[in-house]
Amino acid sequence: MATKTVTFEIKRQASPDAPDVWERFELDWRPGMNVVSAMMEIAANPVTADGKPTTPVTYDSNCLEEICGSCAMRINGRASMACSALVDNLDQPIRVEPLTKFPLVRDLQVDRSVLFENLMRVKAWVPVDGTYDLGSGPRVYPQQQEANYPLSNCISCTCCMEVCPQFNVTTGFVGAATIAQVKLFNNHPTGKVFKEDRLRALAGDGGVQECGYAQNCVKACPKQIPLTNAISDISRDVMVQKVKDWLKS
Amino acid sequence: MATVQPSAVPQVQRGVEPLRANQGASFIWRKLHSLLGIVPIGAFLLEHLLSNFEALKGPIAYGVQVKFLNSLPLVRVLEWVFIFLPILYHGIYGVYIWLRGKSNIVYYPWAGNWMYLVQRYTGLIAFVYIGYHVATQRFMGADLPNHPAAAFWKVQHELANPWILAVYVVAMIAVCWHFAYGVWLFAAKWGITPGEIARRRFGYVCAAGGVLLAAMGLASIWAFVGPKYQNAPENVPLSILVAPVHAGATYHPNGFQCVARS
Repeated sequence: MATKTVTFEIKRQASPDAPDVWERFELDWRPGMNVVSAMMEIAANPVTADGKPTTPVTYDSNCLEEICGSCAMRINGRASMACSALVDNLDQPIRVEPLTKFPLVRDLQVDRSVLFENLMRVKAWVPVDGTYDLGSGPRVYPQQQEANYPLSNCISCTCCMEVCPQFNVTTGFVGAATIAQVKLFNNHPTGKVFKEDRLRALAGDGGVQECGYAQNCVKACPKQIPLTNAISDISRDVMVQKVKDWLKS
Repeated sequence: MATVQPSAVPQVQRGVEPLRANQGASFIWRKLHSLLGIVPIGAFLLEHLLSNFEALKGPIAYGVQVKFLNSLPLVRVLEWVFIFLPILYHGIYGVYIWLRGKSNIVYYPWAGNWMYLVQRYTGLIAFVYIGYHVATQRFMGADLPNHPAAAFWKVQHELANPWILAVYVVAMIAVCWHFAYGVWLFAAKWGITPGEIARRRFGYVCAAGGVLLAAMGLASIWAFVGPKYQNAPENVPLSILVAPVHAGATYHPNGFQCVARS
């Protein structure tokens, strides 16, 4: 009996300055297999479809349940999470490439630290560190919790940035994820102490004004975060903040 | 040991740089670009399309409208400050925005992404067309500010060339598209419609408005090329004392304005 097979084409690159090559792999089909599980099978038997031995594919992954944000890559051209990319839902051969907008480390692994740098620059945290116990924080009403919860789902996968036509080396746009986190922390009763700082930061070069509202971010987001709503709200808040600053200066 | 160990992750230069928090002036320039598209440029577009619509009433009504506009106080200042300079800035900065973005419609053929691309193409068509239109209709040929009576004749001669007529039709649709989606974008990006449903509803409003404007614009073009006002004279009688009236309208002795009979 002929076994059903799955064909993968994976873009390989041994180091940031090495030339890239495409390698083809044939795997036995298994029920429920996804792109990460396929990569694990390749690692167990790193031989291409032509029978040539190769190295296991390097990629980031951790939780395997779309909650850690590590395994974002381009699958059949589109930025998606490899762990939740079910092989049965994909056209074959399944072409897997690294994200294009982040410095490549090796194979499918890229350096996405720009997102963490951006989150730091907008102070995307609740300031509670100190030398003594600050006691319990202000109460967050259920209505506010429900508004904030979708924003708190961000897994920092950077899919929204990868698919954004404005996120590139020329604009240095901050990207939708950071803007949504500004909304989240500005809504937080303790986090809002930095509200003005965050809004002023986002008016800097590469800030919220660079958004072209192509709305790819919200389509690509694996966590269905209302990113375009956040961009709209934060754009207004930034404008109001700037007008206040001009009038008070 | 005090030396810093190199990171395990190699430093590659080609990444997107992080937010320049609190730095630079691109915010004000970008927001100015956005605002100018609505006022004064959008407002002027509405005025222009409404004025064009007078052409449907004939050469006299059209000439009277041109004369009225040129009789506005400080009209040359208004023209430069509220029309030419804003359009020049909006167009040049718009091209600059276009060049900085990188469309990825091939991989992500989604509606918003298409509109992002079309907004750039319609903007370019509009900008090039407006440059040609202002050069030929405002600064070349008959000097309409001083001879508004020749307005209908001048436009009719321009549109007599089928190629130029085609350019006007394409540009009219492109301009109305760019304006209608521009209004939608303005509402979305200035936080006027932060809700999904509000944006969808406002999308219908903008689409309807854009179609209406384009229809009005195309109807005005028809007034010049259609059979009704063929061979308009180069000099039609105008009187500024008469408020814009229907072509050939007369006043009844008891003071009621009558509808023209032609």
